[in-house]
Amino acid sequence: MKRFLYGIAALFLLIAVVGCGNKEKEAAAEEKGPVTLSLWSFQEIHVKYFQDAVGRWNAENPDRQITLDAQVYPYDDMHNKLLLALQSGSGAPDIVDIELGKYPLFLKGTPQLVPMNEYVEPEASQFIMSRFDIYSKDGKYYGVPFHVGASVIYYNTEILNAAGVDYKSIKTWDDYVKAGKKVKAATGKPMVTVESTDVWSVWPILSQSGGDFFDENGKCVVDNAHNTEVFQFLYDMVWDSKIAIASPGGFHHSEEYYGFMNGGGAASIWMPMWYMGRFTDYMPDLKGKIVVAPMPEWPGGFKSAGMGGTGTSITNQCKNLKLAQDFLYSAKMSKEANVKLWEELGFDPPRWDVWDDPRMNAPNKFTDYFENENIFGMLLAVKDSMNGVRITENLPRIHEQIKTTINPQLILEGNPDVHGVLATAAADVNR
Amino acid sequence: MNRYFFRVRMVPYLFILPFILTFLVIYSYPIIHSVVMSFQEIVPGETRFIGLNNYLLLKDPRFHKALWNSLRYTFWTLAILIPFPILLAVMLNAPDQKGRTAFRSIFFVPSLVSVVVAGTVLRLIFAGSERGMANQIVAALGLPIHDWRLEGPGLAMFLLVLLATWRWLGVNIVYFLAGLQNIPMELYEASRIDGANRFQQFRRITLPLLKPTIVFVVTISIFGGFAMFEESYIFWQANSPNSIGLTIVGYLWRKGFQQGELGAAAAIGVVLLFIILAFNMTSLKLFGFGKED
Amino acid sequence: MLRRPFIERILRTLFLLIIAVIILIPLYSLLLASLRPSRDLLRFGITLQTLSPKGLELSNFIYLFTGERVYYGYWFRNSVYITALQTVVSCFLSSAVAYGLSVYRFKGRKTALGAVLFLLMVPLQILILPLYKLMIGLHFMNTVFGVILPFAVSPFAVFFFYQYLRGVSRDFIDAGRVDGVGEFGIFLRIIMPIMKPALGAMVIFQSLQAWNSYLWPLIVLRDNLKFTIPIGLNSLLTPYGNNYDVLISGAVVATVPIIIVFVFFQKYFIAGLSAGGVKG
Repeated sequence: MKRFLYGIAALFLLIAVVGCGNKEKEAAAEEKGPVTLSLWSFQEIHVKYFQDAVGRWNAENPDRQITLDAQVYPYDDMHNKLLLALQSGSGAPDIVDIELGKYPLFLKGTPQLVPMNEYVEPEASQFIMSRFDIYSKDGKYYGVPFHVGASVIYYNTEILNAAGVDYKSIKTWDDYVKAGKKVKAATGKPMVTVESTDVWSVWPILSQSGGDFFDENGKCVVDNAHNTEVFQFLYDMVWDSKIAIASPGGFHHSEEYYGFMNGGGAASIWMPMWYMGRFTDYMPDLKGKIVVAPMPEWPGGFKSAGMGGTGTSITNQCKNLKLAQDFLYSAKMSKEANVKLWEELGFDPPRWDVWDDPRMNAPNKFTDYFENENIFGMLLAVKDSMNGVRITENLPRIHEQIKTTINPQLILEGNPDVHGVLATAAADVNR
Repeated sequence: MNRYFFRVRMVPYLFILPFILTFLVIYSYPIIHSVVMSFQEIVPGETRFIGLNNYLLLKDPRFHKALWNSLRYTFWTLAILIPFPILLAVMLNAPDQKGRTAFRSIFFVPSLVSVVVAGTVLRLIFAGSERGMANQIVAALGLPIHDWRLEGPGLAMFLLVLLATWRWLGVNIVYFLAGLQNIPMELYEASRIDGANRFQQFRRITLPLLKPTIVFVVTISIFGGFAMFEESYIFWQANSPNSIGLTIVGYLWRKGFQQGELGAAAAIGVVLLFIILAFNMTSLKLFGFGKED
Repeated sequence: MLRRPFIERILRTLFLLIIAVIILIPLYSLLLASLRPSRDLLRFGITLQTLSPKGLELSNFIYLFTGERVYYGYWFRNSVYITALQTVVSCFLSSAVAYGLSVYRFKGRKTALGAVLFLLMVPLQILILPLYKLMIGLHFMNTVFGVILPFAVSPFAVFFFYQYLRGVSRDFIDAGRVDGVGEFGIFLRIIMPIMKPALGAMVIFQSLQAWNSYLWPLIVLRDNLKFTIPIGLNSLLTPYGNNYDVLISGAVVATVPIIIVFVFFQKYFIAGLSAGGVKG
C-alpha cells in the first residue's frame, strides 16, 4: 500500500518538476502609483493591442499611470462569466470586450455598463456611427467598436479570368448572377458558397439591400416582402440558377471550408472586411489571386453594411471610471488609435477620417496578399452608403432560427416555400 | 463494552463526515437556489417571480426534439457501452493475452483528447466532400458518400454514438477491469472441474459477480446520456441544422447563455434532474439495489 | 493458469487489433497534424493520403514552451497540480465515505446513501450561478481551493467504491477487530489494500476528470497564468480565427501525463489481488 501512495506522489512530483522547467514569464511587477485597470477579452490579439495602448498612454500621461491586468478567456465562456459577474454584482472587470452576437444579452433590463456618450458625441461626424448604434440602448452608447466590418466581396480572379469575366463590370446583383452563370458554364465551379448553418451569407446582403431582421419597434420582420425577396435570391442561386452551393462544412469558418476555398473551390465569397485574416492565415495558396471589391448593389439599396464586431465596454463595477473612459478613448477612438487598429489588427477602423492616411496604405501582410492597389481607397468609395443593423434583445433568437431552421431548410434541403419558412421563424421569435 | 458501543455508534459518522459537509455546505444552497431561480425571470439588474412561466418551455418543440435526441442517445450508449466494454475487459483481463497494457492504453487515450481538438479532427474526417477520410473509405467499399454532419437526424445520431464509443469505451473498460479483480479465480477453477464451459462460466460467475460494477456503470451512463452536451458540441458547436444534434443540456445552454434567460435555463435543469432521477430510480429498482442490505 | 488454444488467442488478438486500429485513426491523424504546420491541415484536410508521415517537424512543440505570449507551460503545471491534489483528496475521502456507508449499519445510512446518489445525478450546469455566488461569498474565487472544494468528495467515486465493497467479505473486518485494530486502522491497513483495483480505477478516472475539467475551473479561475490546459486551449478559439498550431500540439502534449498515470495504475488490475475476498 505504501508503494502505491508513494507511486502517486512521485509521479505527480515528477510531472510538476517537468512542468516547472518552463521559463518564468511573470506579469509586470506591481509598483505603487499606477492604477490597475482590469480587462477581459476573448481575443489574445486584442489584449496585445490594449497593452500597447497602455504603453502609449503611460508615455503621454506621466501623472496618470495605468497598469493593465488583462485576461483572455474562451469566447463563449468569457461572456458567460461576465453574465454571472454582472448578475451577482461582483467579480466583473473594469473594461471588457463584448462580441456583437452576445451584446443584446447585456442590453437586457438595466444594462450594467457605463455609457460613453460624452466621448462619442463630440466626434460623431468622424465615426461610422452605425457601429456605435449597435452597442446602444435608449440613446446611450455602451460599446466602442474595433472595426466597421464593412461587407465586401472577395473575387478569385484566376477563376473569373478563366471564364472571361471582369470583376469590375459586376455592378449589380443581376450582373453578379449573369457572371456566375458564365463562370459555372466555363469552369464548372460555383460562383459563390452560401452558409447553411450560419448568418454571414444572408445578413450582409439583407442589410445592404436596406432590409433588417427587425422593424423600428423591435418586432421580427424576417418574413416581410423585402426580406423574403433576399432569401429567395439566395435560394434561387442555389436551387434555380445553381451558381451557388451550400458552404462545405456549413459555414465560412469551418475547417473543411478553408481547404475547399484554398483549392479554388468557388469564384467569390462575400464576407466582412475582417475575413481578410482568414485568407492570409488559412488559404495561402490563393495569394495574389484574390481581389477585395465593393459588393454588387441592389436597386435602391446600400453599397455595403457593417457586420459583426466587438464593443469594448466599461462595467458599472469599475472603480476608476474617469480614468477607464479616458483610456478607452485613447486606445480605440483617437485618430492615432484608429490607424493602429489597422496596423496592428488588420481591421477597417470605425473612424473614417483616417482611411486616407498614408499609413493606411503601407505594405503589410494584407497588401501583400490581396491584388488591390489601395484597399482603403475602395472602402472610402462606399463609406457614405453603409447600412447598420438593429440590435435587439431578440437577435440571438433570430440567429438561432437562421442557423437551425431557416438556412438548413432553404439552402441545405431546398424547401421551396421560402415565405412559409420565414413566417414560421418570425412567429417563433416574436412569441 | 462501552468503548465498543461508542466506536460503533460514532465511527460511521466520522467516516461519512466529509460527504455530509460537502453536501450541506457546498451543494444544498445552490440546489435550492436553482430551484428558486426556475420560478424567476432574471435579467441584468432586475429579478422577479413569474410563477410557472419558465416551465412553459416544456411545450416548446425544440425541447421535445432535445428530449428525444437525449433519449435515443442514452439508449444507444447503454446498448453499446455496457456489453462491449465487458467483453473487452474480460479479454484484456486474460493473463495469456499479449500486449494487454498496450491495448488498454490505446482504448483509453481518446478520453484524454481535448474536446475542441477532437472536434477539429473529427469534423475533417467526416467532411462532406469526397476528399474527407470517411467518404474515401465508404467510396472504397462501394457505398454512397454522405455529408455526415449536415445530412439528417439518422447520421447525426450515428456520429454521436460513434464518438461516444470512441471516447468512453476505454473508461468503461477500466471500471469493469477493476470489477473483475473482485472475482476469485477459485470460482472459475471449481466450476471448470464441475464441467461448466466458458459461456456458462461467464453467465453464472462473471456476470453475477460483476453486477455491482454494472449497476454503477448503468447509473452513470444514464446520467451521462441525458446530460450529454460535449459530443454534440464537437460536431456542431451550439447550433445544428434542424437541431439534429440538440440535447437537453444543449437547450439549457442555448437558453441560459446564448439568450440570457437564466431562469428558463434553471427550469430546464430542474426538469432534467427529474428525468435523470426517474430513469435511474427505475433502473436501480430493477437491479434490486438497496434490497439485499 | 490455463492457456487457451492457439487459434483462439490469435483470433482474440486480431479482434483487439482491429478495434485498436479504428480507435487509433483519429489519434494518429491528430499526431501527424501536430507535426505539420496547421495550415496544411486546413488545406488538405484529413484524407487517406495525408496519413503518410512526410514533412514532419517539431516546431509546434517547441513553440508551445518558448513562444511569446504562449502560457502553455503555466497551464500544464497548473493542470498537474490541480489534478494531483483533486485526485488524491477525492479518492481518499470518497473511499472513506464509501467504507462508512457500506460496512456500518447506522441511523441515517439510507438517507446518506440516497443523498450520494442524488448528488451524482445533479447536472453541474444548473448550479453554476448559485455556486459562483457561494464561492464569492467564501472568498475562494481564483484559488485552487475553490476549484477543488466542490469535488473533494466525489459522489461518483463514493458510489463506485460502495459498489466495490459490496463484493468484499466482512471476515477481514471482523478479523481485524479481533486482533484489536482500531476502526480507522482497519480501513487504512486492511480495506485499502483490498480495494487496490478499485482505487486504481478511481485514480485513473478522477485524474481524467480533473484533467479535462473545464466548466468549473473556468468560473473560479481569473488569471490567465492560473488557467488549466483545457481552458487555455479553448481561449485559442475565437470568432476571428483559431490558433491551430498551439491548439493541436498543445492537445497532444496534454494527453501524456494521464497516459503515464494510466499505465502506472492499470497494473493494479491484477487478478487474485483480493482472492477469497468475496461474500460467501
